[in-house]
Amino acid sequence: MNIVSKTLLGATCALALALPCQAADTLMMATTTSTQDSGLLEFLEPTFRQETGIELKWVAVGTGKALEIAKNCDADVLLVHAPAVEKKFVADGYGIDRRQIMYNDFVIVGPKKDPAKVKGKSTSAALKTIYDAKAVFVSRGDKSGTHNAEKKLWAANNLSPDKEAFYVSAGQGMMATLAIAAEKGGYTLTDRATWIKFDNKNNPLTIVVEGDKALFNQYSVMTTNPAQCPKVKKDLAKKFEDWWVKPSTQKRISEYTLEGKQLFFPNAGK
Amino acid sequence: MMDRIFEARNLSRSYGGVCALWLPEFQVERGECVALTGRNGSGKSTLLRLLAFLEQPDAGTLHYYGSTTDPRRDITLLLQDPYLLKCSVFKNVTLGLRLRGETDHLEERYRAAMQDAGFEDPMALADRTQAMLSGGERQRVALASRLALSPRVLLLDEPTAHVDAASEEIIYASVRACLNRGVTILCATHDRTLFDFLDAREVVLRPRS
Amino acid sequence: MGYFADGFSQAADLLLHMDDATMSAIEATLVSTSWALAIAALLGLPLGFVLGYTNFPGKRALRLISDTLLAFPTVLIGLLVYVLITARGPLGSFGLLFTLPGMVIGQTILALPIIVSWTAQAVENLDARCRQTLLTLGASRTQTALLTLCEIRYDLGMVCVQAFGRVVTEVGVAMMLGGNIRYSTRTMTTAISLETSKGEFAQGIALGLVLLLIAFVVNALLTWLKRKGGK
Repeated sequence: MNIVSKTLLGATCALALALPCQAADTLMMATTTSTQDSGLLEFLEPTFRQETGIELKWVAVGTGKALEIAKNCDADVLLVHAPAVEKKFVADGYGIDRRQIMYNDFVIVGPKKDPAKVKGKSTSAALKTIYDAKAVFVSRGDKSGTHNAEKKLWAANNLSPDKEAFYVSAGQGMMATLAIAAEKGGYTLTDRATWIKFDNKNNPLTIVVEGDKALFNQYSVMTTNPAQCPKVKKDLAKKFEDWWVKPSTQKRISEYTLEGKQLFFPNAGK
Repeated sequence: MMDRIFEARNLSRSYGGVCALWLPEFQVERGECVALTGRNGSGKSTLLRLLAFLEQPDAGTLHYYGSTTDPRRDITLLLQDPYLLKCSVFKNVTLGLRLRGETDHLEERYRAAMQDAGFEDPMALADRTQAMLSGGERQRVALASRLALSPRVLLLDEPTAHVDAASEEIIYASVRACLNRGVTILCATHDRTLFDFLDAREVVLRPRS
Repeated sequence: MGYFADGFSQAADLLLHMDDATMSAIEATLVSTSWALAIAALLGLPLGFVLGYTNFPGKRALRLISDTLLAFPTVLIGLLVYVLITARGPLGSFGLLFTLPGMVIGQTILALPIIVSWTAQAVENLDARCRQTLLTLGASRTQTALLTLCEIRYDLGMVCVQAFGRVVTEVGVAMMLGGNIRYSTRTMTTAISLETSKGEFAQGIALGLVLLLIAFVVNALLTWLKRKGGK
């Protein structure tokens, strides 16, 4: 019996490494991939823990999925960036206490050769040009905040590229989508934070449109509605929201840089 | 009346509708040596399994006149091309004893059984596994594992079918020695040498036609 | 090419310096996999043995079900368990989603059919003469069953090792049910997937190397068991 018993013994040893219990003060956050992939959350988390004594855990998914998780009561708080969808989420009674905390901006990137000749144009003109030239455009296609922003931009110009052959729906995170755009020599809409992380000397892509008002990307925090989900830790959630908007945190957000560039711009209460 | 040990009448056994054995009448006396012969498929192995009480006949009666209520303590069967468990020779030979809960003097009993099966130096083989034995040795280890049980009835199914000439001689001798100790022996065989050597009574089985 | 070489040198660095995040992913993987395997073995070995050893009406149907579950896509397991354990689901009150125990449930379901089917297979593959031999040596029913179990011990070891290999390298269930939470449910495979999407290959390569090492150990163990079992 020695092998069976050894195998079982090994497994039992693992039982001794009891599964870590949930600490009393843990807050579960559903957030977007950009806050995690840019490294911002890892940068802020130690300060948060130190100042509030709360252990913050997060799942990083697209904004759509993050809202879905909160809707199912599987997260206490949210950090997302799709204002229109968020407002509807609150209006539908799934979320409460939505507060704006910071923004960054989207940029349209494309091949350095710029085959559709959109460089320097306004967002709306650039999209029209891409559409007319049938240049490859890679979309997140995952109901994320970025995807939402992109759909809004197309719609604002009365364009619906969904079924066009040049329109590639990736269904993946921002970094993967950028990689696809680079491989295919296509254009895409990205948040600046992920772009800075992606941008390296071998990168065939460059920014073609930036600084347009239409490309503004607002991040907000919210609490899952305790009336819907009784298990939501509303006291901790309140501390969480207060922490994000207080001046020292806002200052800390502005201190996060990547490759020497500031990624997020605090705007709580504005 | 003679000292009868087995008595069977109208014994039959079939597998999946195919008749494997039909035996109108059959007796064995205590201490006797019976050679079961007959063509392949005539029911030799089936009869042995019935006599070993591993299976029940479909019809007919089989009586065993032994000293105990559980015939399986008296009778053991050495299968054709026997199987050895994946453990040492020592454990294989003493397995039957340990199953009975007889764990005293295991080493002596191992030695005796192995010597009865013609091994001169039983301890040299004690730790080997079946993969390290020749075909003849395997057969004799299997025989030793039965002899260790000190059976009153020893059933053998083609004991020399898969062994070399040297092992054959040794097996003859140890079966003969058993017979001399008063063990009743029934042996299914095609091997006329064995059966002459043992002065066996021949019972020819015939399939039901 | 720079990516590649840099990735490897940084990976070596992470492993040598026992980097926190890397070690935590390795730990999460081993802890959850061990639990899943322990539970699956505890349930699956007896179940598989009974399935292979005994004859009863419906046995074939059960074998067929178990064999079919072997090919169950892991994302489907993830989805089903997700629906069960989400706070709104039937088991929601236990708060299992995005925790190690939640992940263990999915991994157990992944490992169970492997253990059941292959244990049953091992019993069925055992030489029929074994059972007869045990009976001729006077074994009772219980003794025969126990010794049969003992006789296939190396096969059972192999079954467990293979189930371990399957669970440890799996990513769908771990990602969906664990949620890839840093220092908590981030396993080797989910971390690799995350690091790749972040464009950071070093940690991915480091964890990939550890996974390869585990695969190597698993296979060495299998070879050894196979050799022992052949005797």
